[in-house]
Amino acid sequence: MLVTQIPYHQVRDDLWRPLAGASKRYTLILALLSVVALWGLVAWGYQIHVGIGVAGIQRPVFWGFYLVDFVFWIGISHAGTLISAILRLTDANWRKPVTRAAEAITVFALMIGGMFPLIHLGRVWLFYWLFPYPNSRLLWPNYRSPLMWDVTAISTYLIGSLIFLYLPLIPDVAQLAQEASGWRLRLYKLIALGWTGSDREWHALERAMKLMAGIILAVAISVHSVVAWDFAMAIAPMWHSTIFGPYFVVGAIFSGLAGLIVALNIIRKTMHLENYLLPHHFDNLAKLLLLMSLLWLYFTFAEHLTVWYGNEPKEMSVFGARVSGRFSPEFWLMVFVNFAVPFVLLGIRRLRSITTATIASVGVLIGMWLERYLIIIPTLSMPRLQSSWGRYAPSWVEISITVATFAAMAALYLVFSKLFPIVSVWEFEPHEEEH
Amino acid sequence: MSSFITGTFSSKNAVIDAIKKLKASGTGAADMAVFSDEPIEFPRGVLDRPSHMSLAVVSGAVSFFLLVVGIVYYTQHAYPLVTGGMPIFSFWAAGVVFYEITMLGAILTTAGCFIWESGLLRRDKGIPVPAVQPEVICLRVRCMPDSLGMVAATLEKAGAQNVGKLERAA
Repeated sequence: MLVTQIPYHQVRDDLWRPLAGASKRYTLILALLSVVALWGLVAWGYQIHVGIGVAGIQRPVFWGFYLVDFVFWIGISHAGTLISAILRLTDANWRKPVTRAAEAITVFALMIGGMFPLIHLGRVWLFYWLFPYPNSRLLWPNYRSPLMWDVTAISTYLIGSLIFLYLPLIPDVAQLAQEASGWRLRLYKLIALGWTGSDREWHALERAMKLMAGIILAVAISVHSVVAWDFAMAIAPMWHSTIFGPYFVVGAIFSGLAGLIVALNIIRKTMHLENYLLPHHFDNLAKLLLLMSLLWLYFTFAEHLTVWYGNEPKEMSVFGARVSGRFSPEFWLMVFVNFAVPFVLLGIRRLRSITTATIASVGVLIGMWLERYLIIIPTLSMPRLQSSWGRYAPSWVEISITVATFAAMAALYLVFSKLFPIVSVWEFEPHEEEH
Repeated sequence: MSSFITGTFSSKNAVIDAIKKLKASGTGAADMAVFSDEPIEFPRGVLDRPSHMSLAVVSGAVSFFLLVVGIVYYTQHAYPLVTGGMPIFSFWAAGVVFYEITMLGAILTTAGCFIWESGLLRRDKGIPVPAVQPEVICLRVRCMPDSLGMVAATLEKAGAQNVGKLERAA
């Protein structure tokens, strides 16, 4: 292994280089993603114009793809806060090139996830009824409703995550402003708030980040617990479970980590950051992913074991549909990609690499989306009253909006990485380069 | 009218030495500012910047908690419903809302405290700011014109590479 020290000016040059100009390939990919995202907006517009009936949701399955996507994206949003906040609090040095990429995922995933309750509302223009404002109808929000819990939890998390992303961005943006011109200069100056790099500013930033890491961690865990309680508070088969809160939190960290590994590998390749996003970063993240895979398996096993042992007929209907009935292909595919693939690829040391970690992560993303699907659809398809059983098939509108959100996420990420350094420059101390 | 003088250093220890010497000669911590492009941690007692951020964040959280309890209590009692004296306000069922808004209070207070304690939005535009080069630490000292020579000599003695006077911005 050849060990060299990267000088600071090279760190700055390397991390700022991706911000300059846009290649043809970048523009083409961004245009394609934007078209897909716009198609999703068209589909949503069609739903608003015609009515929520154009979606596949109908009695008894009133929560379809929209709620699956909602839970999935809120889960992905846990990448940033949990990785960044936990590693910040524990002073883990290897986090430094990883945190901003993770925090950006959080903000964009939350923005996308937070849209789904609005899409699901149907009459989206009435969303403001969820806020307590003086009104002539003398109607106020019902704070005992889990829908209101979601509104407050996600709003708090989004505001917190934006601030958590923004604060450590200020020193980098202030440096960028010194060399920028035109609209970039105006943007960077506005964001930098007149940062000068004084000790007062650094002290305030470090204190604020420590506090924010603690607060955001508490909020992140509460948010996915609240999302879990949307289900667990209902006395529906296989939902009314005390472990749903931690089960969802574990699943969220699991999918968030997977999203982060995929994003980091793409950034590494496309922005040529091989000297900054090193194999040991991926190795550490892969080990964390493996740990979360095992935890996820444990929770899934515990959840299904207690239902099976209890043998309550209504619960067993849903259990049977998942494990050996009409939802079994999705169920066993989920177990395969969420456990078997990571266990083999990441558990066997000589198989563990950046490529295998990325393959396992893509599998986990698919598996965790399926998990959300399997939690929502079978239970709603088979309510306690057998005569009310029904089926669900997504319409083109739901599929379009779902696909569009993935494109929107990628497009937002692309734009962000062109505006701001995706690896924090000021946090990046010169390090030993691995070859 | 006070003047400003700066010295640039390449090592943290030299800056610490300069700060200690300046403090010994009567310069207050409020008159000194260190500029760098990365955070520099000094040992306790060198250039302490007292902070009330933690206390303020707890106060902000408590304030938001009281506010949200008040809003929920008021709005749940504002329904024109006849309940026969039965309560419609359930404290525990609104616990999640109380928790989240309390945390929101903590988050917003942290952001507010950062802006206040860093002095970002209340900086005197007339006070000159030295341009900081990468890997260089710059110490700016505010002093009376008659002590400029003494401060410059102290900075040089401590190992400053470039010592110069900074003019007030127009």
